[in-house]
Amino acid sequence: MTRRPRGSLLVLLLVWLFVYPVLLVVLDSVRGPDGWTLEYVAAFLREPREWEALWGSLWISVASVALAGVIGVPLAIVFERLDFPGRRVLGALVALPAVLPPLVGVIAFLFLYGESGFVARVLSELLGLDEAPWRLRGAGAILLVHAYSMYVYFYLFTRAGLAKVDASMIEAAHSLGSGTWRTFRRVTLPLLRPQLAAAALLTFMTALGSFSAPYIFGGGFRVMTTQIVASKLNGDIRMAVVEASALALVALMGLFLLRRQAEARSVVAVGKGTPPAARVLAQPIARWGATGLGWAFGILLLLPHATLVVVSLVPLGTWTTQLVPPAYTLANYGTLLTEPERLRPLVNSLWMATVATVGAIAVALWAGRLVVQRRATLRGLIETLVSVPWAIPGTVLAIALATAFSMRAPWVARWVLVGTVVILPLAYLVRNIPIAAGSILAGLRQLDPSLDEAASSLGAGRWRTLRAVTLPLLRPALLAGGALAFATALGDFVTSIVLYTYETRPISIEILSSLRAFDIGTAAAYGVVLMLISAGVMLVGTRR
Amino acid sequence: MSDAFLEVSHLTKRFGDHVAVGDLSLSVPRGAVLALLGPSGSGKTTTLRLLAGFERPDTGTIAVEGRDVTALPPVQRRFGMVFQHYALFPHLTVGENVAFGLAGQGTRADRDARVTEMLSLVDLDGFGGRQVGELSGGQQQRIAVARALAPEPRVLLLDEPLSNLDPSLRERTRLEMRAALDRVGITTVFVTHEQEEAFALGDSVAVLNHGRLEQVGTPPELYEHPRTLFVATFVGRASVLGGVVTGDGRVRIDAGVEWPVDASQELAAGDRASLVVRPEAVRFAEAGLAGIVTERRYTGARALFTVSVSGGRVEIEAPAHAVSVGDPVHLDVERALAFPEVKE
Amino acid sequence: MLAETTFEAANPDVDVRWLDMGSQDALDRIRSERANPQADVWFGGPSTLFRRAAADSLLDAYRPSWAAAVPARAHGPDDLYFAAFETPVVIAFNSDVVSRETAPSDWDEVLEPRWTNQVIIRDPLASGTMRTIFGMVIERGLAATGDTAWGFDWLRRLDGQTREYVFNPALLHQKLLRQEGSVTLWDLPDILVEQDKGSPFDFVLPSSGTPVIEDAIAIVRGARHPEVARRFVEWVGSPEAQLLAAREAFRLPARGDLPLDSLPDWAREVKAGLVVEDMDWELLSEQGAGWMTYWDRNVRSR
Repeated sequence: MTRRPRGSLLVLLLVWLFVYPVLLVVLDSVRGPDGWTLEYVAAFLREPREWEALWGSLWISVASVALAGVIGVPLAIVFERLDFPGRRVLGALVALPAVLPPLVGVIAFLFLYGESGFVARVLSELLGLDEAPWRLRGAGAILLVHAYSMYVYFYLFTRAGLAKVDASMIEAAHSLGSGTWRTFRRVTLPLLRPQLAAAALLTFMTALGSFSAPYIFGGGFRVMTTQIVASKLNGDIRMAVVEASALALVALMGLFLLRRQAEARSVVAVGKGTPPAARVLAQPIARWGATGLGWAFGILLLLPHATLVVVSLVPLGTWTTQLVPPAYTLANYGTLLTEPERLRPLVNSLWMATVATVGAIAVALWAGRLVVQRRATLRGLIETLVSVPWAIPGTVLAIALATAFSMRAPWVARWVLVGTVVILPLAYLVRNIPIAAGSILAGLRQLDPSLDEAASSLGAGRWRTLRAVTLPLLRPALLAGGALAFATALGDFVTSIVLYTYETRPISIEILSSLRAFDIGTAAAYGVVLMLISAGVMLVGTRR
Repeated sequence: MSDAFLEVSHLTKRFGDHVAVGDLSLSVPRGAVLALLGPSGSGKTTTLRLLAGFERPDTGTIAVEGRDVTALPPVQRRFGMVFQHYALFPHLTVGENVAFGLAGQGTRADRDARVTEMLSLVDLDGFGGRQVGELSGGQQQRIAVARALAPEPRVLLLDEPLSNLDPSLRERTRLEMRAALDRVGITTVFVTHEQEEAFALGDSVAVLNHGRLEQVGTPPELYEHPRTLFVATFVGRASVLGGVVTGDGRVRIDAGVEWPVDASQELAAGDRASLVVRPEAVRFAEAGLAGIVTERRYTGARALFTVSVSGGRVEIEAPAHAVSVGDPVHLDVERALAFPEVKE
Repeated sequence: MLAETTFEAANPDVDVRWLDMGSQDALDRIRSERANPQADVWFGGPSTLFRRAAADSLLDAYRPSWAAAVPARAHGPDDLYFAAFETPVVIAFNSDVVSRETAPSDWDEVLEPRWTNQVIIRDPLASGTMRTIFGMVIERGLAATGDTAWGFDWLRRLDGQTREYVFNPALLHQKLLRQEGSVTLWDLPDILVEQDKGSPFDFVLPSSGTPVIEDAIAIVRGARHPEVARRFVEWVGSPEAQLLAAREAFRLPARGDLPLDSLPDWAREVKAGLVVEDMDWELLSEQGAGWMTYWDRNVRSR
């Protein structure tokens, strides 16, 4: 059998891609110029502000999970189980926060809910206030942005889970005298547990690695990601490395705990898997109430996108104290499309996201086939490995790659990649692996293994089986995972800011550049383009 | 019927333009087992779901012991249901599944006792701590029955209770289930598409087609005195031939022979009729309907022959070596049923 | 970029690739790219950062022909970098709300109660300009009392006046424009550029003196195009480039030999009113990071 080496080869590749670089960073935190030392770790531990930041990161992440769950789960239930006019359109709209690019998305929030933003101004006007009614700053502001952008995970996962819960489970509970609430608590929720745990994991990791929101809104509120960047900017590389290690540690613990939740008593659903039909709201009041609320909520969700579009149409420096912009122009888009230098980032982002997505899918397929087919020992290891990048915050991964691949030492598998065109797509690829693997593994598990055997008994080789049987059947999973991975890579900011070069400068960096030139309009125009591409890709990816 | 325990009157359910159940009336005496028999799409499952309360009828009523329960939601209806795929909760143990419907009833000890009792009823003593996934299909089916019976429902509903079992298991499970139902003495309605199952389990059988009740009766009534062509052909083996009524209980079939019939309904001379012939009511003869043997299915001492005749095929049960495939034969009939011809 | 297009026009064989970033980011990047330098020239950013880069051996020495024309303070050690422009720090304000007459005319006036909650400044951890101002305050205290306590006390009072430390310059720009606050501390060229674009911004030159940041240029060690890099450095210091930058980009030339009447009006005005703070740049370069860490941990309240 030649299979064993292939599995080990994949393990080696994955370890080299991200485990090894992160380990190097961790090692750097306990290694000084004169050998091993705990001096840097001690300096970190002595510092109350570092504890504050660590605690901040942790509780913000936990609170983000709670908030996102509280919004996302009921919303999913409403859209999956009730039928009312506009349900389909609204159901799609509700997923829109997923396509708001990180950096400009946060800026849209500023224009909308900031103290000089639209909503604050309207309220001040209405209530006759001299001061803005609030300041969008600190933990509250970060949580607002997180809740807005991350409830989508709970929403999508819960909907997918609900669609798989057999209607007869619910009916069985009802016929056994179990009321709606008890049925939900005792039957539906436990059945959704794997999906809920997966959504919680994704939210927790995203919140833990979140950079844009604390960067823009944090003010004095400390979290680890901004702390790392601040230390690095201050030239205190050692402290940055220790901070990165601490954050990675917290993330790994989160991954471990939540994954155990997701896997504990993995539930095999027995049944046809026919979801209950959505209940049509027949009463006019309930019907129109639901529709009205639905649309109100939809508009609320769309406001940041709309704000971004409005900002992209505002001539430079004209929107100051007015409620709405005094003038509109398409000049910002003109700049973007007519100057080849400004079009480049768009092209860069597109090719890098494509390469990263294709690469991640290849790795995920490779891993998936090994995991599904084999009974062997490497299976668990591979499964864990492909999910580990979840737990590496973007900032940490970027620093790790920059550290590992900044010197030439082939005998320890280190080459100079920093400053080359390779490193940024590589970083995207690593970050895309868990996204692609999550979707593809789930897809592969649903495939009947006898299909593979049937193909090989008909004389199809390994490649032909993959091409003619596995891939076509995996299409929905591939599309969904691929679309999400592509959109993520396209909008990436945190890793890009550390690793980009002139040849690979992506959209997010060009947005930052425009911001540095106080050119918010052009930045927003880039944001709108990014948003449209992401939305288009996600639309293709989620089409059944 | 005033002694009916479960009474269904003029039940109608439409899904859009499609009439799933049309003007259905049934009554089941206390402790009796009623089978709802019909092909897929006949409305039998919808009827069951209407009884359980998962669907609301457009018109009609459902009453238990004379009390209207049509508006009661499933939670309050106290009808136990066994689902086709059992719908056991995979996250709960066998014992927790059986105890699910007992929430809030009596003490913890009472509930445990009831669970033990139920497990014993279905011959699965000591299985309480098992995971649902560890059970075989047959065991899952029995647990589903135990779970449904635990809260002492007024009526037990079963949706294709045996369809997910291996054929080898079915016979035994059927016997065990019938024994369990008799022991509990519960009024039961179950759905099946298999005549054999309906006849073996049901005290009476209601045959449904296109959402309408074709006939309800005991198995012998249905087999020997079907009231419609559908019941005649759906219940038991039968061959159908076309013909014209000639008067005084005879029909001239299209192949040219005249046969005596039991006309079930008002058939006047000259009407087109469909002739239904049971395999055991035909025999090979010296003269009569001419045909050629095309198939022989061996079942032991006797065999089932298919004879191709002008205008159709006829199945005949006869000693295994009576004729051979390819032989020209003549058929005579002992008894045939005639129904008005249905134009497709 | 103006420098890019003009230089490319004069040197058609060269394609200038411009990566625009904060000066701290630039140093950080040159440091991380040490093994495989991507940049040939590092242009722009306070000389303090260049000094740190020089100490880390990240720069290559090159003495351009215009070295003699810039003042001694513009010379880096061992010819590792030279300042081509000078960037004074100013007190800036939204001129829709505050006029030159009512604006604070010196640093201490920013601490007056009328500006409480009106001051919005860049987060000093991310801004070289703010670090320079903070450094100036600490050094003034050191000079007067021999201790850093006075300076940190002053900064604590400033912290009390401050509405928000903004991480990103664009956001600060927006917040000032949208009147979330009215006063800020900023560098002169940015204010002039924005004024030119029509933003309601204006400035005063602090009367007690203000740090003038030496805006330096240097060749990155291991540059892949050293010859072109030298040509670019030469060009940046040439009179034509200096005057072009003054006219078009509101940069104050470091060269002292340019005839006054060739300078634009604003530059003459600034040169007349500017009081240059005599800073110990070396001390700032050595101690600055420590001061900032101390400030971050013990002074900052928001």
